[in-house]
Amino acid sequence: MTQPARPAEGAPGLLSSAGRVFDLSLGQMLWSRRSVFLGVLLGGPVLLASALRIAATLYASGLKINGVQAGGSAIFGMMIWLLYLRFIVPVLGVFYGTSLIADEVDDKTITYLFTRPIPRSAVLLGKYFAYLVCTVLLVLPSVMLVFFLVVPTGQGAIAGAFPSLVADLGMLAIGLAAYGAVFALVGTTLRRPLVLGLVFAFGWEPAVLLFPGYLKRLTVAYYLQALVRHEMPQDSAVSMLMQVFREVPTVSTSLLCLAVIVGLTLWLAGRAVEEREYVLEQ
Amino acid sequence: MPIHDQGYRRYGGDKTRGGTGWIVITRAGIRTFFAKRAFLGLLLVSWFPFFVRAVQIYAATNLPQAAFLAPTPETFRQFLDQQQIFVFFVTVYVGAGLIANDRRANALQIYLSKPLTRAEYVFGKLAILMAFLALVTWLPAIVLLIVQISFAGNFTFFKNNIFLFPAITVFSFVQVTMVATAMLALSSLSKSSRYVGILYAAVIFFTQAIYGVLYAVTRSTSLSWISFSANLSQIGDVIFRQPLKYDTPWPVSLMMIAGLIVISGVILERRVRGVEVVA
Repeated sequence: MTQPARPAEGAPGLLSSAGRVFDLSLGQMLWSRRSVFLGVLLGGPVLLASALRIAATLYASGLKINGVQAGGSAIFGMMIWLLYLRFIVPVLGVFYGTSLIADEVDDKTITYLFTRPIPRSAVLLGKYFAYLVCTVLLVLPSVMLVFFLVVPTGQGAIAGAFPSLVADLGMLAIGLAAYGAVFALVGTTLRRPLVLGLVFAFGWEPAVLLFPGYLKRLTVAYYLQALVRHEMPQDSAVSMLMQVFREVPTVSTSLLCLAVIVGLTLWLAGRAVEEREYVLEQ
Repeated sequence: MPIHDQGYRRYGGDKTRGGTGWIVITRAGIRTFFAKRAFLGLLLVSWFPFFVRAVQIYAATNLPQAAFLAPTPETFRQFLDQQQIFVFFVTVYVGAGLIANDRRANALQIYLSKPLTRAEYVFGKLAILMAFLALVTWLPAIVLLIVQISFAGNFTFFKNNIFLFPAITVFSFVQVTMVATAMLALSSLSKSSRYVGILYAAVIFFTQAIYGVLYAVTRSTSLSWISFSANLSQIGDVIFRQPLKYDTPWPVSLMMIAGLIVISGVILERRVRGVEVVA
């Protein structure tokens, strides 16, 4: 069994090593084919927002919900809930988080990183921060565009809704950090992280949120949803049930819990990377 | 060292019938997945709703107080609806790497250098996924029907709802074909099975989310054709003679499903190719 490389005397510390890995990984992530695909995916909400804006401009009566003219802020809130919070943020977390180390293992390039005189956990940390910057750079412009396209419809005021946009951007960044850290742990500890990641994001989380009791506290969504200022949409029977059993923790509790989730999962992922022996397929 | 005759000698063995190469691929693929414990666990979990329904049928037939739990055609429709989440996970687990892993390992050229056509290769891979999907949709639903007959001790329910057997079969076939061809087409687009899995999740959940927003804005279900899950649900309701959930005409939903299958076929036709050596 190979022993983890021990940093040599005078070798860079954890944070400076992570900084170097971050530099290397950010360029790779930003200009990769998958980022182009995710850019296209994030263009979906922008296209939808454009279509809604055109529809609102063409029809003088504007967009109506239950016969009542829908305000732009309400539609924007719905898009934040349904597209970003329930779909895009978890998907980005699963996609990038699980592949932080797994991609290097698949490409058989993990050896080059692990033979450098830096702590192994610095590789994970650097890549995690690169993921965070990359995804935030992809998601936030998309949200901004959707905001400016949708909010002015139905006599909505951009200035009035702007504080909520800032809160949304912060909430999405925190969500990306939390999901990314959780799935980084999954990616470092499991051989096939994707399926479990998808089970967690699209099986466990939506299911558990429907149950009363404490189980929902074992999800990221429970704490993240407490940070959303918009009203939860009633788009389906499941959403209505979710609304019934919805408990909202305080913002400070949610932030604290999310910080604990990020810290704990990153620490565990770092330990897993330090201790695990990655066997490369021949 | 004597040199023997080096002349050409014809192959003396038996020739395999053409068009059966896909069976080898399917058999090998099915065996590979059955050897994985995690996958067996997933299959076991996906049969959990079946056990719940079996208990429901048992209670309804044996306890007069639980007569309200008596199965109806809707029970079978709901059962297949509930299996959708397992269909998703099995599809990602089995299907994501079916062609992507071969492309990654440059195995496609090796496959196609054998007496195997591209169609046989694709069909062999498709059959692996379809077999496993049938294991979580068609098989439990049919077994549930048999369970109902055996618990009731008569054929009354079966005779009264004779359309259930073809309905289960047709709906499962439509669902399995749509899902399997879409996943196989996505798998042929990349060398990374992880990437393929995410692409598939994006196709399924993103279309659903977009429809969710449009429904929330318009409060009309006539745009449900955008979501592939909604299309499948609409066709399912037609096949099971249930009231339709969405305002979209069912032929439109059927066209969307057929369109997805055709597009997947075109992608597979373009992507699954060997290396052409030009002299």
